[in-house]
Amino acid sequence: MPVDPSDRAGDELLQRVVDELRHPVQLDDSVDAAALERIRRAGLPSHAPWRFRLLAGLAGAALAAGLLLAVLIRAPESQPGPRGSRAVRLKLVAPASSRVVVVGDFNNWDPAATPLRGREGVWTVELRLKPGRYHYTFLVDGRKWVRDPAEPPAPESDFGTPTSVLTVS
Amino acid sequence: MRRDRWYVLLALLALSPVLLRAQDRRLSDRLDPATATSVQQLIDSARALKLPTEPLVQKALEGSTMGASGDRIRMAVEALFGQLGRAREALGTGASEAELTAGAGALRAGLAPASLAELHRLRYRQSLAVPIAVLADLVAEGVPAAQATREVFQLAREGRPDDEFVALRRRVQSQKGGDPGSAEPLQRPAAAPAADPPSEAR
Repeated sequence: MPVDPSDRAGDELLQRVVDELRHPVQLDDSVDAAALERIRRAGLPSHAPWRFRLLAGLAGAALAAGLLLAVLIRAPESQPGPRGSRAVRLKLVAPASSRVVVVGDFNNWDPAATPLRGREGVWTVELRLKPGRYHYTFLVDGRKWVRDPAEPPAPESDFGTPTSVLTVS
Repeated sequence: MRRDRWYVLLALLALSPVLLRAQDRRLSDRLDPATATSVQQLIDSARALKLPTEPLVQKALEGSTMGASGDRIRMAVEALFGQLGRAREALGTGASEAELTAGAGALRAGLAPASLAELHRLRYRQSLAVPIAVLADLVAEGVPAAQATREVFQLAREGRPDDEFVALRRRVQSQKGGDPGSAEPLQRPAAAPAADPPSEAR
């Protein structure tokens, strides 16, 4: 197949261009130095550092708050009780009862706060109390007040209900 | 105008602790409004006198749980308020909340303020809460006040730790065996070495 002379000339031109592009360009070292100097003088955008710091600070604060929250939420499970508290076990023998709760100075006299666990008629609960003097009584089956026979009776009976006094040292 | 708003805001912030404690939610939740208000006034008075307020709150809540009338609750709180004040007169202004609460119980049990003052003197710079509580417990158990006082004072004089006061009460309880009027001398175990004076002052 005959070759078109104009094609051959085009190929030669293309080959020269490619050869030229493949040839490495050697710049003077001063050009590199000047370019770097210009970049250094221009610097980074002025608002970047303080925004970055602000965001980093906020992120750090959020992380710290999250960790603190996690610790606080887990605290009731992981801590045994108030600082300096002691474990106190209350017990009431009430074989014919279906529910026993204790109310006292340690739970705002709230009948829903501290139920006892019953096993074969022996009802027990373990509290953690700081040293002090506590008045309390048991409520049996939601209707009968029974004071703890294991502790002294309260000297006063302001409301006509038998109560005991517990001293935690 | 804008500055005035800042002043109001700052004043509210400064007063917020006072405002927050002005109403105890436990009282307003559990007592009728009139009783809650009168009890709150007693509590405010106690706070102004730097007396412990939590025992007063608990006394009111006890009355509420027991179904007592508002008048009865107020009277009980008022009586406890007075006992706390007398306990502080006997124990001094440095007495802790636990000591004052125990002292009020002791006075309620029939002990004389002079007994508290003497215990304070014997156990100077040591906590009095447990010895006073034990003293009150012994009397409540039926031990004559003079005998209970003598036993507790002896332990205090010897510098015994709190646990020994509690042990004394346990022994009395086990010895009594349902004889509240017993005036027999309280049996004590062989003398244990006296405890080191506690490092913390009251």
